[in-house]
Amino acid sequence: MGRRFAVGRPLIAVLALAAAACTGGDGRTPLVVYSPHGRELLTAFEQRFEAAHPDVDVQWVDMGSQEVLDRVRSEKANPQADVWWGAPAEMFTAAASEGLLEPFAPTWAAAVPAEMKDPRGLWYGTYETPEVIAYNSKVVTAAEAPKDWDDVLDPKWKGKVLIRDPLASGTMRTIWGMILDRSVRETGDTAQGMAWLRRLDAQTKEYVLNPTLLYQKLAREEGLITLWDMPDIEALQAKTKLPIDYTIPTSGTPLVVDGIAIVNGAPHAAAARQFVEYVGGMKGILLAAREFMRLPARTDIPPDSLPERLRWAQAQIRPEPLDWARLQQQLPGWMRWWDEHVRGRSGG
Amino acid sequence: MLRLEGLEKRFGDVVAVSDLWLDVGRGELLTLLGPSGCGKTTTLRMIAGFETATAGRVLLDGRDVTTLPPQRRGTGMVFQNYALFPHLDVHENVAFGLKAQGVPRADIPRRVERALELVDLPGYGSRKVQQLSGGQQQRVALARALAPEPPVLLLDEPLSNLDAALRERTRSELRALLKSLGITSIFVTHDQEEAFALSDRVALLRAGRLQQVGTPEELYLEPANAFVASFLGRASFLPARVVAAEGEIVVCELSGGVRWPAARGGVDARPGAEVRLMLRPEAIALTADGADGAGSLPGRVTERQFGGATTLYRVETPAGEVLVQAGARAAAQGDTVRLHPADASAPRVYPATEPPSR
Amino acid sequence: MAPDTAPSAEAARTASGTGAERSRRRSSRTAVLAAVVLALLLWLVLYPNLYVLADSLRMSGRWTLAAYARFVRSPSELGALWNSIWISLASVALSGLVGVPLAFLFTRFDFPGRRLLAALAAVPVLLPPLVGVIAFLFLYGETGFITRGVQLLLGLRAPPWRLNGPAAILLVHTYTMYVYFYMFTSAALARLDPAQAQAARALGASGPTVLRRVTLPLLFPAIGGAALLVFMTSMGSFSAPYVFGGGFRVLTTQIFVSKLNGTPEDLALAAVEAVVLAATSLLFLGLLERLERGRAYTGAGKGIAPVRRRGAADVGAGVVAFLVVLVLVLPHLTVALVSLVPIGTWTTELFPPRLSLVNYRLMFTEPARLRPILNSLSMATTATLANVALAVAAAWLIVRRSFRGKGLMSALVVLPWALPGTVLALALATTFSVHAPWLGRFVLVGTAAILPLAYFIRDIPLVTRAALTSFRQLDPAVEEAAASLGAGPARTLGRVVLPLVLPGLLAGALLAFVTALGEFVASILLYTHATRPISVEILSQLRAFDFGAAAAYAVLLIVVMAIVFGIGQMAAADDAVRRGGG
Repeated sequence: MGRRFAVGRPLIAVLALAAAACTGGDGRTPLVVYSPHGRELLTAFEQRFEAAHPDVDVQWVDMGSQEVLDRVRSEKANPQADVWWGAPAEMFTAAASEGLLEPFAPTWAAAVPAEMKDPRGLWYGTYETPEVIAYNSKVVTAAEAPKDWDDVLDPKWKGKVLIRDPLASGTMRTIWGMILDRSVRETGDTAQGMAWLRRLDAQTKEYVLNPTLLYQKLAREEGLITLWDMPDIEALQAKTKLPIDYTIPTSGTPLVVDGIAIVNGAPHAAAARQFVEYVGGMKGILLAAREFMRLPARTDIPPDSLPERLRWAQAQIRPEPLDWARLQQQLPGWMRWWDEHVRGRSGG
Repeated sequence: MLRLEGLEKRFGDVVAVSDLWLDVGRGELLTLLGPSGCGKTTTLRMIAGFETATAGRVLLDGRDVTTLPPQRRGTGMVFQNYALFPHLDVHENVAFGLKAQGVPRADIPRRVERALELVDLPGYGSRKVQQLSGGQQQRVALARALAPEPPVLLLDEPLSNLDAALRERTRSELRALLKSLGITSIFVTHDQEEAFALSDRVALLRAGRLQQVGTPEELYLEPANAFVASFLGRASFLPARVVAAEGEIVVCELSGGVRWPAARGGVDARPGAEVRLMLRPEAIALTADGADGAGSLPGRVTERQFGGATTLYRVETPAGEVLVQAGARAAAQGDTVRLHPADASAPRVYPATEPPSR
Repeated sequence: MAPDTAPSAEAARTASGTGAERSRRRSSRTAVLAAVVLALLLWLVLYPNLYVLADSLRMSGRWTLAAYARFVRSPSELGALWNSIWISLASVALSGLVGVPLAFLFTRFDFPGRRLLAALAAVPVLLPPLVGVIAFLFLYGETGFITRGVQLLLGLRAPPWRLNGPAAILLVHTYTMYVYFYMFTSAALARLDPAQAQAARALGASGPTVLRRVTLPLLFPAIGGAALLVFMTSMGSFSAPYVFGGGFRVLTTQIFVSKLNGTPEDLALAAVEAVVLAATSLLFLGLLERLERGRAYTGAGKGIAPVRRRGAADVGAGVVAFLVVLVLVLPHLTVALVSLVPIGTWTTELFPPRLSLVNYRLMFTEPARLRPILNSLSMATTATLANVALAVAAAWLIVRRSFRGKGLMSALVVLPWALPGTVLALALATTFSVHAPWLGRFVLVGTAAILPLAYFIRDIPLVTRAALTSFRQLDPAVEEAAASLGAGPARTLGRVVLPLVLPGLLAGALLAFVTALGEFVASILLYTHATRPISVEILSQLRAFDFGAAAAYAVLLIVVMAIVFGIGQMAAADDAVRRGGG
């Protein structure tokens, strides 16, 4: 008896767990959103959306966009997420080609330009995210701060540049992609771009693990300059009063199309459609623009309804034309090559 | 009461016990004796049910228990290291078997106390097991085994962890107790002295085979073979040739020509047969040289071991080396002496081919 | 065979039939239990890893060695492998150099506060993995307390050092891993029979000779065990190389990079890297076992500590011990300090300008912040209970029974040690994301079962080892005594065996519980919204730049761990007292 009892236990435990997994929450429909957009923005949307849809319980899981893709991939057979909100367009394109997304046509679909959405309606651009040059505004004045990408290579910033680990960051991959895409466009290959990145590597003091450490190191003057995206820095300023400011590169900057999609086989597809409808709808777009400095991807937003600072930024931005198809194909190989042959080779 | 029928135990290719037949009467105290590795503990464990016989049967009161698990045999057991439950106190240890056998709760304290009284530990119930001395632990183990009043008690070298003086005293107390309770007991030991002091009968095993079973006197005085003779007490073996045989008595000629009578002991010893003559040290008399030499074996004392009550002499003779027990001043080392049989029945003959090993 | 007509001469042989049957029946019951335990282990420990192996051999649906070829041809991959190995070996050496002398310091010298300091010397074990790394940043990073302090003290313009590269990794590894050496050696020293050293001294050996020729060889099993653990942990270490490596490649970071890059070639390469990592660990395990074979001295020692005299050396030892412990608790103090910082109030100041308990208040009052704590507690409890059940069954089988596949079972229960958390998580994610019951695959990814399952698998070696030790110390005669007194298997298990193995088992279980509570590496890959554990919440708070909130969780973890370890210590002490006389 006793012996059987002893083996039975783990089996029972496993079964009990499986059973527990099937039980639900408080009667509302849980809507699981995978998103890198951060606690503040997500909380704000959760509250507004739940106010409008009291039968839905928004459960956001905060993680990097690469992690989201990874997750959605490994959960393909048993999707856990309903909505994937926030990632560069090429990541959505990759996911769409792997059959990870579900088509949907929100009422505002037509207001999104064709190049910012999937032709089959698998994903839609919500915001355009400009990449910028950020600096510690306590030590560096606005006049001194680099105005364009090449300024970052100025000898006076040597050893003062901090870079978020480019492999793990969608933002950094886009900037790397822009540098290399420019090189291919102008010279036919990546050599010039890699040379530029090698010079940047020489300027770089440290590749930083995550954005948090990046902000902290920047604020604590462990480095003075970094490359990052505009909305995140705006959010940081609003939240923490850290002395960090940014300039918009004059020669042009990649505008990353940030999208939203419904996960293929989403357990709560109806609620997911409501959520996507809300996020891309006028209320959602204005909420993101006014409180979180998100540039709308939709073209039908009256400029005077946007906050002044956002309109100022819009005026500054020179969109860099990028060959997204080439990037999607080539960038992983380029990143790998950079990682193996450039990173840390120039004595950073 | 307890009957073993052709019991056998193999561990893989190794035969630990083979073809063992044994009967133990009600209230009898039997010892399984033998050198280490002889299979005595394995036999005990087969009786207890910790090992399953690969052949043969174990009968308890006529009931075949060969296939029963230990807890359903009703045999009590006292372990060599006592195996007291260290997380329980003395009372709980003794009560364990009573509870396991469903004795009514109200009866338990009384029966525990009675068991503790039997082993002379009244009032020790609340003691921690670790607080007891070795001897006390041994007695608690005995009380624990006795409390459920098992029909058969098995004891696996229960005295071996006690010091010499305590062991001797406990030995006689134990025998008195088991006899007064009239409980059938099987006792395992490798100590011949202990076996003789405790038992009604002794079963001597060697390499998994029963050599002889009988009272201590039978085993000592009439050993069935040379192994039994040499395992129980001291013995010298001398090569000899039978020159005459009559009834139970044979006459052997030792090398050097001396002729001695000996007991035949069931050996097929026709005149002319080569045999070995077994001599117990106390069955030989030693006299100083120069006395009457007829029928005596000359020799020289090569070693003298003074042992208090008795003194042992190692004597080199033409027939071989002989151990002799005699008075403390009977001879000195280097003396030339003569040896005679002290009792005609004491020397015994055994076949020459049997190994006299111990 | 015809039992009923057998003549009496053949009775014995007839009986032999039933006897053999009986023993067959008993051993078949053992075989059934062994089969169940083995099947469970094969299914959960070995099987998922086969999918990782398969992934390393497959690309776009075809079987190929291309990923291996790429690994072998790439200097940076080989470099990462080499780095992993030498960093791990160096971690073993450095941890040993710190841990072993520290154990001697606390067992061979006497000074005021020795017992307290000896307990505190194990505190790094109380630092959850991710938190430890962050605490190091706050202390020794470029703008950390110590770094700035030294900078101010010496009047330097630049920080005196940078916490970067292999040196930084080794620093963190040594800090977190010497504890294995310290604890194992302390325990072995306590068991050591002083008579052996005294015998050597009596034979004319000098102090250092005794240490080299007698004491250290006797400590070899303990030191070997610690070395193995450190090597494995170091091979699987991710946070330290990732945060401090500054581009220094090791296998774990390469797996991460390959996964992130995400092309089919990269995913296959990630699998290759995982296979290489696991194979290296297994190789080391095998080497050490070979080395250890025939060296398992059973200590006949009575565990009497050598007579201590207080002298000048003791005063010195006391001072050293105090300084060492001070350094060891600095990260904990740092975490405690940071937990008092409200969000956004501490930027460039040396010390935080404002301190309050707001992070703790929020942690216990906001349901969203309380949830991870409850999640971690319940998942760690579930996993630990399952661990205990499996460990009791496996240890009982291995120690008490003989059956086919015993060697396999003994190997399987230590295997999860050799598999880094990332590899395990990857394997589970692959295996249990498909519904194919006939292949033993169920969709567990995304369910509440997957994290407790991962914790359970990771902690199998820990709890089983504890159970094995307990069962080996348990005199089999005690079980037989219970049976001879009429107790059936259930009563014997419940009243005798479990109470006796419980203290040892409890120590292992508590360690597993604590490990599961702070587990990060596998959690981050497998959690869901409903099951997010404390470690993931800490990361999430860090992402949100709320160091205070993250540190508050860390302090909570540290406190729970300390309490749990306290209980474990008391249980062990209790057990020692109980066994002492017997």
